Amino acid sequence: MEGKTRGDTVFRGISWSAFACSANTACVDVKDGKILRIRPLHFDDVSSSEQRRPWKIEARGRSFEPGEKTMLPPLSLSYKKRIYSPNRILRPMKRVDWDPTGERNTQNRGASKFEYISWDEATDIIAKEIKRIHDEYGPYAILCQADGHGETKVVHAPHGAQATMLDLVGGYTLQSRQPDSWEGWYWGGKHIWGNEPVGMQVNQRNLFKDIAEHGDAVLYWGCDLETTPWGWGGEQPSRMAYFLEDLGLRSFFISPDLNYTGAAHKGKWIPVLPNTDAALQLAIAYVWITEGTYYRDYLETHTIGFDWFERYVLGGEDGVPKTPKWAESKCGVPSYTIKAFARYWATHAVSIAHADGGGMIRSPFSAEPARLEVVLLAMQGIGRPGVGQLHLIEFGQFGFAEWNPMPRSEKYFEVPGAYHGWMELLDGHPSFIPKTMIPQALTLPEGEKLRWHGHGVCTAPRGDQFIPFEWPLDDAPYIHMIMSDSPSWTTCWNCGNAMQDALRNERIETIIMQHPWFENDAVFADLILPVNTMFEEKDIAVDNWTGQYNMMYIQDHCIDPIGESKSDWECAIEVAKKLERFGGIYENLVERYTKGMDVDEWIKAGFESANVDPSLMTYEEFAEKKLCLAPTAEGWEDDPVALAAWYEDFASQPMQTPTGKIEIYSTGLADFFPDDKTRPVVPHWIEESDDLKERLSCARAQEYPFLMVTNHPRWRVHSEHDDITWLREISTCKVKGPDGYLYEPVWLNPVDAGKLGISDGDVVSVYNERGSVLGGAIVTERIMPGSVYQDHGARVDAIVRGKGGLDRGGANNLICPLATASENTLSEATNGFLVNVRKVDVEALAAQYPEEFSREYQPEDGLRVSAWIADETCKRS
Amino acid sequence: MKVFVYDLEKCNGCHNCQIACKDEHVDNEWLPYAMPQPDTGQFWCKVEEEVCGKVPHVRVNYLPVQCNHCDEAPCMKGHPAVHKRADGLVVIDPEEAKGQKDIVASCPYGHIYWNEELQIPQKCTGCAHLLDDGWDAPRCVDACCTGALRFGEEADFGDELKDAEVLGADFGTVPRVYYLNKPKRFVAATVVDLDADEVVEGATGLLQRISDDAVVMTAETDEFGDIWFEDVAPDSYRLWLKKEGYLDQAVDADVTEGDHAIPELPFFRVPVRK
Repeated sequence: MEGKTRGDTVFRGISWSAFACSANTACVDVKDGKILRIRPLHFDDVSSSEQRRPWKIEARGRSFEPGEKTMLPPLSLSYKKRIYSPNRILRPMKRVDWDPTGERNTQNRGASKFEYISWDEATDIIAKEIKRIHDEYGPYAILCQADGHGETKVVHAPHGAQATMLDLVGGYTLQSRQPDSWEGWYWGGKHIWGNEPVGMQVNQRNLFKDIAEHGDAVLYWGCDLETTPWGWGGEQPSRMAYFLEDLGLRSFFISPDLNYTGAAHKGKWIPVLPNTDAALQLAIAYVWITEGTYYRDYLETHTIGFDWFERYVLGGEDGVPKTPKWAESKCGVPSYTIKAFARYWATHAVSIAHADGGGMIRSPFSAEPARLEVVLLAMQGIGRPGVGQLHLIEFGQFGFAEWNPMPRSEKYFEVPGAYHGWMELLDGHPSFIPKTMIPQALTLPEGEKLRWHGHGVCTAPRGDQFIPFEWPLDDAPYIHMIMSDSPSWTTCWNCGNAMQDALRNERIETIIMQHPWFENDAVFADLILPVNTMFEEKDIAVDNWTGQYNMMYIQDHCIDPIGESKSDWECAIEVAKKLERFGGIYENLVERYTKGMDVDEWIKAGFESANVDPSLMTYEEFAEKKLCLAPTAEGWEDDPVALAAWYEDFASQPMQTPTGKIEIYSTGLADFFPDDKTRPVVPHWIEESDDLKERLSCARAQEYPFLMVTNHPRWRVHSEHDDITWLREISTCKVKGPDGYLYEPVWLNPVDAGKLGISDGDVVSVYNERGSVLGGAIVTERIMPGSVYQDHGARVDAIVRGKGGLDRGGANNLICPLATASENTLSEATNGFLVNVRKVDVEALAAQYPEEFSREYQPEDGLRVSAWIADETCKRS
Repeated sequence: MKVFVYDLEKCNGCHNCQIACKDEHVDNEWLPYAMPQPDTGQFWCKVEEEVCGKVPHVRVNYLPVQCNHCDEAPCMKGHPAVHKRADGLVVIDPEEAKGQKDIVASCPYGHIYWNEELQIPQKCTGCAHLLDDGWDAPRCVDACCTGALRFGEEADFGDELKDAEVLGADFGTVPRVYYLNKPKRFVAATVVDLDADEVVEGATGLLQRISDDAVVMTAETDEFGDIWFEDVAPDSYRLWLKKEGYLDQAVDADVTEGDHAIPELPFFRVPVRK
């Protein structure tokens, strides 16, 4: 490769997992202060094959290898457009009618405009507000929203830089993040088979090889390996699926939509209505039980409580046998297909693949299908050759080496010594609010408390779910100030419209946000600090999540900060400088926060915390070469297959349950929540609850007769990327309305579209009593009748804010249920809820809301920050 | 001479080829090879998508298209600004071609775009600026994760190209972009014994062309009652189903306009007389 067209190459992990665990390692070519291109890293450019020791999986006469380059997704390749987005926040901004010394006009949040202010003025205001809140109410009156996805950074930590600074001056109230995307596993799976901390099959050791050698089929059950892993693992799972197909394994796609996996790969699609998987699962069990085609002996030795389950399935409990005909009426799969499928499964080695969760795992009562899946796997002897629950994302997450179905690497890199963000830990924050309860907390009537069980954070063990908590703590204040570095609650969580109302509550005196882009919740801020993208910062990164080679590298800064932006860490330092002026607990805060170290010193500390064997690389070599690649571990082939020992003798490899067995009768739930009808001791089909009436059988379905699919987005990572011009012109990314606006696609089956009088390209409203979101109709056979599909995470463009509101952007989390998926869990239920759809006349809407419909907007990239700047002279500068 | 080869069986539809092209050519000037591509609206490489069939027999076909770098490229005729390189790539000289809008219309594939701002015709250059600078492959090829898109000497592909297709073969332009495993039309059905509420496995299906009664294909239902006829030529057919103990069943299957899928095809047992 020559230099003329190449520029200077910088390594960079372009991914959005946020928590110091990067992926998607790219080469970024830079010339004259400009990013020329983003391209895959070729391993030969940084190491030799001898050094890497590429693994090779051989099965049935074919072989599979790591590949010669990193498998970047289009989200990484197009990221230049996100960096240079016209929607970047370039200077500190303050809401024009928010006066911290006078009228705060909290009701105008989300509507009124902003003015640019200096860094000096902005940090003055923030420091004074923190001091004032501390003095008036105490530190717990500040809520820190410091979690979620976002650019992956370490020294410059995208989430929690402000929180770790506030930890040094008395603490704060923490928004504790639930395991979004795997709620059913976390709140259900853990009670049936442990598998800490997630509740999915965590031991994946050599499982891919085992399936390649012995498997007959893989069920992609709500799993979209062609979408979900992209944000922090790239396209390696796509290659894995093609390899299994080449070997002759059969693929099944079980989901309401023919998702992008079903689109790319050959197999059988079994369309199932949203969040009715539990009915399908029960009917499969019914076939196996009545035909005697399951591992009865295995159930005797490896599980407890199967009798209870059998009684329920056969109708002994409620008089309703869970027959295929019964299931057909719930899930829309013909009973003859259920029977054929159950018989196929019972006579083959079948594995189930997931990329965390599909729709069923993020829906009402998600603990049920999660546990039922484990029951089915147990009924077919999970652990026998070719039978497992295959994990296709985040290989080795949380540092669990065995949570990786691919051959083991010699080293799993972690750099906690450089990390400035918040870690998902249990201790140290007595005052916390589960993320799914934030709207209720912000608006909690005086004198009342919120009560729940469990910290809810991803890493918490099963037993944590039984601990009762309340907020506010005794004698502690309500929330009066919010500091957020993750302004995407409304477009990613449960009932964003309720959150839009809560953010305008007058008890919330001050909302400070910091973010690179003016999007989603940022519109509701009082003051915003401009943050860099990762390309403008020097940092350290790791890449462990692809199953190719694990790497750690220095990310030199590619370009100078755009505008006046600073990193999240630097933002916190600027605020700390101003706080120091108040003395007392704020004294010497900058030194205490930074430990007097600069970025390079932090990178070195990160390297040291990775505990790299000097024979692999010393720090001096690392500083020079900038990248350390770990070879494949020697002897990986001899690692015992995941659950093989468990299969032979459960006691040799017990599950992390009280009995060490698969608890079809969950003893923990029996002890603590014996009467919970929304998460019973033995998994059930649950029709509805007091809080959740989201079935076609519910009375509400008369008005809202469709079940909604809100997949993790194909062309975004949650709320990220919605302004990337090159993605927006892809036909499945946006639909151009008659007004030129690019609407978020809504998929409707031709049968339903016909009944509703909707044609391809129409602007439609997807609505229920919680509000409406607009979208652009795609009439397609990729969605089954009775369900409506719209990806989640589109950028909010509120026309009418709050409950019953109207959103033009298509951010359907705004109209999700607010209630958690079952009574004693904190899980969001953001998929599989009832809606109706109607065609809308956008011209009429524009006439009704002229101001909102005339916000500055460019179809190519969408809404722009300039629409929210009050002063024309400010706009131009 | 170089060729591009797309194996559509391995194309996962990720659009990396389309996006990498934009990353290389938008806002980057590669003279004398290319002027910048506009941010949106031009697709020097474009992934087209087609949804076929009917629930639950549905397939999605991705088809990436680009300049075919034809050996008999119509855009070269009468346009000295367009030339074929020794390696087979067809390149438009951006300076020489200024103002020559008719070059756009000369391409029967519609793969040449007009840049209104710069007043030049533009298209895929095969990333000639990179190849001449020592890079191994154009950006679209480098970005492909599954190996669906390859670029190389035609001879090196050997026998692989013997069943390859080109787009618009009848244009007579001799394209240098080849497609392997290009999907054809299908007829699919799920065969069900509704009285028994069971799918029917092992039924033989015959696809008979209506115009001449010729049976062009046979297939069998699998354990899901599914039957798939692949690579069916556009025409009108009658699908016959036969199985011992069942009444012969016939349904029309018209694939002149597109694929034909029958979500539930009833199949009846011969009545048993006592």
